[in-house]
Amino acid sequence: MARLTLQDLQLARGGQTVLEHLDGSFQDGAITALIGANGAGKSTLISALMGMLPPVAGRVACEVSRERCAWLPQQLALDLTFPMSVEELIMTGTWPSHGALKGYCAAHYRRGREIMARLGISHLAHRQLGELSGGQRQRALIGRTLMQEAELLLLDEPFANVDGETVEVMMEVLRDMAAAGATILVVLHDMEQLSRLADDVLLLAGGHGRWVGTEALLDHHTGQPARAPRLPIDFSDIHHAGTA
Amino acid sequence: MLALLDAWLLAPFEYGFMNRAAVAGLALSLAAPPLGVFLMLRGMSLIGDAMSHAILPGIALGFLFAGFSLPIMSLGGILSGLVVAVLAGSVSQMTGHREDSAMASFFLISLAAGVMLVSLGGSSVDLTHVLFGSVLAVDTTALLLIVGIATLIVLMLAIIFRALVVECLDPLFLRGQGVRGGLVHGVFLGLVVLNLTAGFQTLGTLMAVGLMMLPATTARFWSQRLEGLIALAIVIALVANLGGLLLSFHLSLPSGPAIILTAGLAYVLSALFGRHNSLVARHRLRAAPLNTPSTD
Repeated sequence: MARLTLQDLQLARGGQTVLEHLDGSFQDGAITALIGANGAGKSTLISALMGMLPPVAGRVACEVSRERCAWLPQQLALDLTFPMSVEELIMTGTWPSHGALKGYCAAHYRRGREIMARLGISHLAHRQLGELSGGQRQRALIGRTLMQEAELLLLDEPFANVDGETVEVMMEVLRDMAAAGATILVVLHDMEQLSRLADDVLLLAGGHGRWVGTEALLDHHTGQPARAPRLPIDFSDIHHAGTA
Repeated sequence: MLALLDAWLLAPFEYGFMNRAAVAGLALSLAAPPLGVFLMLRGMSLIGDAMSHAILPGIALGFLFAGFSLPIMSLGGILSGLVVAVLAGSVSQMTGHREDSAMASFFLISLAAGVMLVSLGGSSVDLTHVLFGSVLAVDTTALLLIVGIATLIVLMLAIIFRALVVECLDPLFLRGQGVRGGLVHGVFLGLVVLNLTAGFQTLGTLMAVGLMMLPATTARFWSQRLEGLIALAIVIALVANLGGLLLSFHLSLPSGPAIILTAGLAYVLSALFGRHNSLVARHRLRAAPLNTPSTD
């Protein structure tokens, strides 16, 4: 089953085609890693999946309702001077389904506390976002998606500038969410993290996408994950026409 | 002692115009500070200032056509404020220039045009009145208008509150939910314009923005929570309003500057002695590093 599929998708930025002829489906309950060099179109694809960038041709078919679509931004995109505590941030996860005016009840607060306990940030509940370390903030942000009961989760380099312990906690949470049936798409650079986390890999290069298994990214000699994000995938059958 | 308090604090409100001014101030104090808090948090503290100039030509036109009729002048103000906001937005989109440069250009043009229009049709007394306000002029119609606009602002703000918070903190989260950030931004700017037009009668166009920004920037020294900021800003605005009105009554001062200077005094005191990031608070932080107990 797949509730998110790409159908002959073509995307452009500023009149320049970035990706074309993109097909395939993101399986429910699977974690798909999105990889590719800088400028390969990862962010462009994410924008299109979020409905922020209309396709030039083809379509993104998404059957997950908006309020269950979650998004973990790169931390740079957050305004850290905004006065908001960890608990308040996590509670905002209810807003997409609650709308403008519906308040929280005791059950929501209980759920918020459970989420914070699970992420190991209960002691930070009343701390301001600006006072947290990168890892703590990332845990709070993933807490928001848990509160949102996300069924489709897009993460843009979630492990950048994050401590090792947080990476472990987040990987566990993501695996649990996938096991519960969520569709997860994550932009990754680290091959080791990728091999531990991802079920599928969508590799973007030369304006095209290629679905590969995680085993394709292992080092040929050692059988271990390749350290550098080199691309041992054969693209020779794809015409590199009209792409940057 | 009681008689003195009575003479200073209560007796002035036996006059109808002071009563009306106080109620108008109360309404404005509920509506303006929350807007100011959001403007401040979005790094747009000066936009309020720009918008206060932008409403001037409309108010002046209303004044030329209908004399001192608050509804007509307010309508003119709202229209010209919105026109300038839209023009500045579209010019910056078309030219690729930053929005603040377009905004600056348009508000300067507006200010000049507004002053020119008022001078054409009235005396310098009228000009002072429009620029700096007068409590004497708040009649019952004006009061109803001010209270109506303030109520509308509070209601609208409640409706867009969550979207506004998310748009400040994490715009992409909002975008991912299919809400256009530009729409929320537009409605918010509309509310700012509405608030300024409601405020100009008592405070004047140039001073109305003070009741929005000063309580907000003052509250920043005392609270680090959004709810705290908003509640505190409202209280500060209320106190500044009543205090300023009383001062203007007893000392025969113009009401707008008296109210804003009272709020300004609160700001200066808070910047010196406030709980967060004030001069004293920073000094205390430096004096006690590493949580070591002081020896003296």
